[in-house]
Amino acid sequence: MKNKYLFPVILFLLAVALPFIVPEFWVHVLTEILIMGLFAASFNMIFGYMGQLSFGHAAYYGVGAYTTGLLMVKANVPLLVCLPLSMLSAGLCAAVLGYFCVKLRGIYFAILTMAFGQLVYYIIFQWYSFTGGDNGLQGIVPPAFLGKAANPYYFFTLIVVTLGMIALWIISESPFGYTMRAIRDNAERTEFIGINVQRYMHLNFIIAAVFAGLAGALWGPFNRSVAPDLCSWQHSGMPVFMTVMGGPFNFLGPLIGSAIYTLLMAFVTSFTEYWPMVSGIVIIVVVLVMPGGLLGLLRDRLPFLRQNVGRAKETNG
Amino acid sequence: MDITSLFAQFLSGLTYGTILFLVAAGLSLIFGVMNILNFAHAALWLMGAYFSYTFWSWMQGYSFAFWLSIPLAGLAAAAVGWVMEVVLIKRIYKRELYEQLLITYCIALILSDTIKLTWGVTNKLIVRPEIIQKPVFIFGAPLDSYFLFVIASGAAVAIGLWWFLKYTRYGHIVKAAVYSREMVGALGIPIPRIDTWVFTLGIFLAGFAGGIQAPIGSITLGMDTAIIIQAFCVVVIGGFGSLLGTLVGSLIVGEVMSFTILFWPEGAMVLIFVITAAILIVRPWGLFGTPMRT
Amino acid sequence: MDLRKTAAFFVTVITCLFFFGMTGAKAAEPYNLGVALGLTGTGALYSADQVEAVKLAVEEINAKGGFLGKHKIELFIRDTQTKPDVGVREVKDLILRDKIKAVINDYSSAVALAVKPIAQEYKVLHIAAISNSENITKINPSPYTFQVVPNTYMQGKASAVAVAKMAKQKGWKEYITIASDYEWGRSTQAEVVKVLKEMVPNLSLKKEFWPRLGEAQFTSYITGIMAMKPDFVFGVLASNDNVAWMEQAKTYGFFDKIAYPGSLISVTELILQAKTLPRNIIALTRAPFFAHLDNPMMADFVKNYRAKYNKFPSDWAVLGYDAVYALKQGVEKANSIDTEKVKDSMKGLTVNLTRGKLAFRTIDNQLSCSSYVGTITDDPKYPFPIYKDIVEVKGSESERPESEILEARKAEKK
Repeated sequence: MKNKYLFPVILFLLAVALPFIVPEFWVHVLTEILIMGLFAASFNMIFGYMGQLSFGHAAYYGVGAYTTGLLMVKANVPLLVCLPLSMLSAGLCAAVLGYFCVKLRGIYFAILTMAFGQLVYYIIFQWYSFTGGDNGLQGIVPPAFLGKAANPYYFFTLIVVTLGMIALWIISESPFGYTMRAIRDNAERTEFIGINVQRYMHLNFIIAAVFAGLAGALWGPFNRSVAPDLCSWQHSGMPVFMTVMGGPFNFLGPLIGSAIYTLLMAFVTSFTEYWPMVSGIVIIVVVLVMPGGLLGLLRDRLPFLRQNVGRAKETNG
Repeated sequence: MDITSLFAQFLSGLTYGTILFLVAAGLSLIFGVMNILNFAHAALWLMGAYFSYTFWSWMQGYSFAFWLSIPLAGLAAAAVGWVMEVVLIKRIYKRELYEQLLITYCIALILSDTIKLTWGVTNKLIVRPEIIQKPVFIFGAPLDSYFLFVIASGAAVAIGLWWFLKYTRYGHIVKAAVYSREMVGALGIPIPRIDTWVFTLGIFLAGFAGGIQAPIGSITLGMDTAIIIQAFCVVVIGGFGSLLGTLVGSLIVGEVMSFTILFWPEGAMVLIFVITAAILIVRPWGLFGTPMRT
Repeated sequence: MDLRKTAAFFVTVITCLFFFGMTGAKAAEPYNLGVALGLTGTGALYSADQVEAVKLAVEEINAKGGFLGKHKIELFIRDTQTKPDVGVREVKDLILRDKIKAVINDYSSAVALAVKPIAQEYKVLHIAAISNSENITKINPSPYTFQVVPNTYMQGKASAVAVAKMAKQKGWKEYITIASDYEWGRSTQAEVVKVLKEMVPNLSLKKEFWPRLGEAQFTSYITGIMAMKPDFVFGVLASNDNVAWMEQAKTYGFFDKIAYPGSLISVTELILQAKTLPRNIIALTRAPFFAHLDNPMMADFVKNYRAKYNKFPSDWAVLGYDAVYALKQGVEKANSIDTEKVKDSMKGLTVNLTRGKLAFRTIDNQLSCSSYVGTITDDPKYPFPIYKDIVEVKGSESERPESEILEARKAEKK
């Protein structure tokens, strides 16, 4: 019990210290790790805790990114106001679409989430007058108090992501979180003890989308622009990759996975353009030889990592 | 909008539907028998198109080069598919859903880069023989004459598959395997061997479809990412593992695409995904599929 | 307690990061030039040619010692996949890790628009040599962004004037546009429609088609357009999309039935589709080498390019070569490779390029270069058709008046 918070706290201190040590390029990489880490952690609420594979999670990330982008570019709304509004819009979107998704399980759940993801993608893509279509939106600049340097925005991201992760942690450790685990392990039995499984799943789906929206909202000011590709099915694959690399059965797994994936990408792309091939090979190896991801592999060796979600077989419909 | 124009639009939807059918047929077959949703299918389709270009350029000058390169592309892709199945896919039949999806997705990434390494980034263009460079007119509606061949090939594949499933011993085994792999295995039929051959057949269809696509426009990298999602839609609408369903699904998608371009161009893709989502919600097993066992 | 193991774990992580970080640092003496183009995706066809020509130009300059005879150029080539998001990431990477001083970017105007503010922020020169949306230089101008290719206004005007003339001659009434659904297609289409409306008031736009960037199946568009029986169609498609569209339209007998004047058909298409392109149609392009063979610089370039790559240079190759040489002359005038000085010296600079003596406009850093309209005709000298009766529409005849640019900027700020 003493060690439970040791790993996250060290991780946080590391995150605070690193920007003062590494060159500016790596500060950008770290910012990306944090944003994608929050995105992957929100995805893992559905994947690791609910046992369903969402292949359209980028839709909510994209809705968050566009909410902030549109508000900042067209209405000059301050970023701090945009963040909660992005969470709200992503949540509303998930409230509607998720209602249908949670009726399905397994492969059907995966495909329906993907179909909805593509639906959102094409709406953003085709609505040229409002969203800028394929061009995306440019000129999303972080607020003046953060300036234009890399470090201030990194620390802003660090604070927001840390708060987001703490919120997700509290939810996952609450009775609600344990109900989700029960649903994952045996939905039928959970239904029998008087729990409205579908309503719980729907609520969880919305929570996951809200935090994906928050992660998306951070992306626009970081990259100075947003593009419809943020919602595409390829982008939905990213949190899956990251979570599987880091370990879906650990709360911090997705964040660690995001760090591995993003660092690897930054490293590999500096000497080859064949990053997709490299990432493909790496992930195949991960899936075949270490199904629990990196943290799953380390768990037995390093006891301080033991604050896992509780391993169980995934249930498919 | 006169009737001839509408008919022309119908014909162009039919040709697009046929191309989708050729891609989706193998996808649906593989899913039906092995329960694997093969993300790499379109990458193999694209590889088939590039193979067809290579064979065509090797045999350039012979009158049969154009026609022969299409089935050869199917065979070459099938060889790649066979290796893929034996080396990788075999290991994941019993794995979790997400692991299967990830592995086939990663294979797609690897194959795309392999194509880039092998054929380079510039477009490939196959020059058609004289006789199919001019349009034909059917009741006054223009149609690319090559599309007569495309539609005929689609029909031949549909009939061939139907005959195979209905009248051959192997077809019966495959159909039985769609319903219950365990039962087929219990009868002493070697399931792993059936899997390998069904997978190879599915990839042959993908490569063949790629060969068919090659002379339409030009062959470029990245064509696969657009079509794989549409092929998924086809399979979802028609129903996993159902040949008739795939045929109907691809015609629906093809015609919807074709007619929305006339009346509501912005809505084409949106409408396809609305239909797909609606089918999944109301009837997850598709129009002609059977509810999946667990 | 496992503190020791924990500590060991984090020490390893930090060491790794340090190692990664070190690899980014490089000596400052060479001139690091970035090339970020859409090497995969829709823009691959044009971008590949440009990379080749940039490589050739860099080799030539390095053979003489580099910029100012002493700063060897080091090339860093990246693929933006013709996607704005990827483009921004790659350019940031080039700036921060490879320490580039200038970047040639992009195929897609949407990518160039997204990259522009990044280049400005990090004070890196940004040279657009394929992407040509007017908005790259018209509104929110950046002193670091230069455009060496005729922009959408200039191209739109050049082709619209030619089309308007034909429309009056032939008494055309109705037309349809088909344009790629993104920045370049949108801004070119808007310009052409506007000019046509002014010049031929009784001409009506019957329908607009907007296939997505990267569309490969045009058959439904083709039958749809043919059903509406317009007098002519104006197309704004490029690279892979343009090849697919022209190939498919031809097999439908489209060009026999409907006039297709003034649309972009670059040298790339002339070479790639030498056998299949319809002849005798009037088309538009940006930098055809055969229009300037009397210029020794162009003649040499064509000779060297052919010797190295065994093919004729496309518009995009010419533009890439010009981009490097424009930068060279900027460096020479500044007598320094310091980006601030080069940026200032390039403002309003007249440069000697393969296309002749051309000047950057002071107001928007747009090179005052020509657009080319001509008739596609076979020529015994080449294994592909070229433009005949070329009308070279000079930059000065087709540029947007400065007053309009200032107005647009004022309107943007509100």
